[in-house]
Amino acid sequence: MPPTGCNSGRDQIKSRIQELIDSSEVLVFSKSSCPYCVKVKDLFRELNVKYKVVELDLMDDGSGYQDMLLEMTGQKTVPNVFINKTHVGGCDKTMQAHQDGLLQQLLGGGEAYDYDLIVIGGGSGGLACSKEASLLGKKVMVLDYVVPTPKGTTWGLGGTCVNVGCIPKKLMHQTALLGTALQDARSFGWEFDENVKHNWETMKTAVNNYIGSLNWGYRVQLREKSVNYVNSFAEFVEPHKIKATNKRGKETFHTAAKFVLATGERPRYLGIPGDRELCITSDDLFSLPYCPGKTLVIGASYVALECAGFLAGLGLDVTVMVRSILLRGFDQDMANRAGEHMEAHGVTFVRKFVPTSVEELEKGTPGRLKVTAKSTESDEVFEGEYNTVLIAVGRDACTGTIGLDKVGVEVNKKNGKIPVNDEEQTNVPHIYAIGDILQGKWELTPVAIQAGKLLARRLFGGATLKCDYVNVPTTVFTPLEYGCCGLSEEKALEMYGQDNIEVYHSLFWPLEFTVPGRDNNRCYAKIICNKLDSDRVVGFHYLGPNAGEVTQGYGAAMKCGMTKEQLSGTIGIHPTCAEIYTTMEVTKSSGGDITQAGC
Amino acid sequence: MAYRLIVRRIWNAPVKDIRCPRLCASSASLFSRAPSPPVSVTSRRNVSFSVQDQEDFTERVINSNLPVLVDFHAHWCGPCKILGPRLEKAVAKQQGRVAMAKVDIDEHTDLAIEYGVSAVPTVIAMRGGDVIDQFVGIKDEEQLDSFVGKLIEQ
Repeated sequence: MPPTGCNSGRDQIKSRIQELIDSSEVLVFSKSSCPYCVKVKDLFRELNVKYKVVELDLMDDGSGYQDMLLEMTGQKTVPNVFINKTHVGGCDKTMQAHQDGLLQQLLGGGEAYDYDLIVIGGGSGGLACSKEASLLGKKVMVLDYVVPTPKGTTWGLGGTCVNVGCIPKKLMHQTALLGTALQDARSFGWEFDENVKHNWETMKTAVNNYIGSLNWGYRVQLREKSVNYVNSFAEFVEPHKIKATNKRGKETFHTAAKFVLATGERPRYLGIPGDRELCITSDDLFSLPYCPGKTLVIGASYVALECAGFLAGLGLDVTVMVRSILLRGFDQDMANRAGEHMEAHGVTFVRKFVPTSVEELEKGTPGRLKVTAKSTESDEVFEGEYNTVLIAVGRDACTGTIGLDKVGVEVNKKNGKIPVNDEEQTNVPHIYAIGDILQGKWELTPVAIQAGKLLARRLFGGATLKCDYVNVPTTVFTPLEYGCCGLSEEKALEMYGQDNIEVYHSLFWPLEFTVPGRDNNRCYAKIICNKLDSDRVVGFHYLGPNAGEVTQGYGAAMKCGMTKEQLSGTIGIHPTCAEIYTTMEVTKSSGGDITQAGC
Repeated sequence: MAYRLIVRRIWNAPVKDIRCPRLCASSASLFSRAPSPPVSVTSRRNVSFSVQDQEDFTERVINSNLPVLVDFHAHWCGPCKILGPRLEKAVAKQQGRVAMAKVDIDEHTDLAIEYGVSAVPTVIAMRGGDVIDQFVGIKDEEQLDSFVGKLIEQ
């Protein structure tokens, strides 16, 4: 029989522990030297939660406490965490509880949230994520709100791609291609009256009608998947609470265990006199009620070149003002070839100039504007008159006004982008981000969709598959389309070194171009192989018609690890453009001739 | 809210094919050659009204003494532009025995969502707040006359 004194000591410790548990919101039994304890304490500090620490190694009867804790909780190790009288467990359990949102619930006095997930942004990524989460049985809300452009343009559900991006862009690109086809048609024997005109309004209405039907389709899908959609602007007010403001200014509040930020980006303005008042961006162009007329496109982003390309294709007088290079981030050899083709087809390039002011000479639809620009290299000043000035100098993430500062989500101050880990998690564990607002990731609709879907499956479906951001195929819809997958030549050189890569390339003349006799030695194919890894294709580049269709298939092959040998062992489909990749023999380093001899 | 429940129940029931049988349609086309009395513009103007909001819908559609055809349409929908005037013509022929309401689904999304509209044009027939018939897509004049006629007979 143990001495009674000891027994009363045990009781004393037990009641002391119980007292601590009952009186503390957050209680951590810890040892000052234990790294796991430090981690847990850091977490609570980060969450801005007051916590009480009992350092067992710094007190006389620490081991007695530890024995009693084992008896009370079945856990002998530290840290041993209690929140609002509930035993959470050690470091791993606490971190897991934080991830699951359980910690937050315990901290909030066990209060349940309105939703399992709130998604901010109803674009491609946000919709994919919310629908998937709902399919997995979760209660989901999506908030989407389009802040009108300075010109007053606004649009429906679906985000940039559907309303002011991929969809109208490709349809207007197609409009331009049809113009080229009309010209080609004569060579093939079609005879028609000379008078061919294009009606902007007909095209605009047709394109926007299609977009209207897509907006409705998305709305119906959300209903079918039981996602609660609210057309309001969302802003964090607390870590788990957002304020939603609708267009009439009515405010409502909603809470959720987890959040996904999918707010996307909007065009950047220049910050020069007249830019917001007089210029338009891609947000306005696709629903412009009148033909833009003589147009100056400022910028050399893919948005700039695509818009300039189709406007020129409609027969408009188009000038592109470029500060430095075309298509930053893309393979420069390809970018310049795409630019040269545009130049050959009547687009004027004003290089190494930046605009300094835009003035209105005459109101109208379109009116007349005077643009002044200065050289980036000398004192030279450029002046020009245009009907429309389209700014396409880049896009800014919509992360500045959604209360991220209130909840401590880290944002890159330079560009508003959000850094995330490889599971799209921000520094605040219950807040995730997908799509164009991610730092260092692709700004592409299919990437956002994939990331959103996989994120929902990991959060709510027990899945582990992460979004693969490597070897993503994409296409720029310049008049001569540019498709690519993998590394640019510059990037491959940087990563592997000149000696370890082999570049195969070839010019080609699409069969369809031969009869009308146009654009010979313009289309170009290039692959970059890693000599250290069985000549694996690490970069794929294509400049020619139907680039999206061609690149998609080779993208799948690259995902499977395609090598040059496998590519050469593939039988081509004749006569196509894509077959060129199965017969590429000339390396860039050999300096061999790649021009196609025309008759 | 009772009517909503009824509406839902009816909506969830399998959609019966309310298109005119082939035979009926072809025989009807024989009659279409006969000159039909022209419907004056003034009477057609009053045939339909545009729903302003949820309250307006309750008052003029759900609480209506007459059966009401509700034409869910959108400005971006080509077939809607063809169906709308045809439907008005069919309703006008009934000389006040049936009313017609027009709902722009983009302006009144909640109403369209509530009534399960997933494609336009969707036309629902309501009497006493209950959905008694419906169709999606375009119909010719004879089919519409028959649809409207059935609504009155019932």
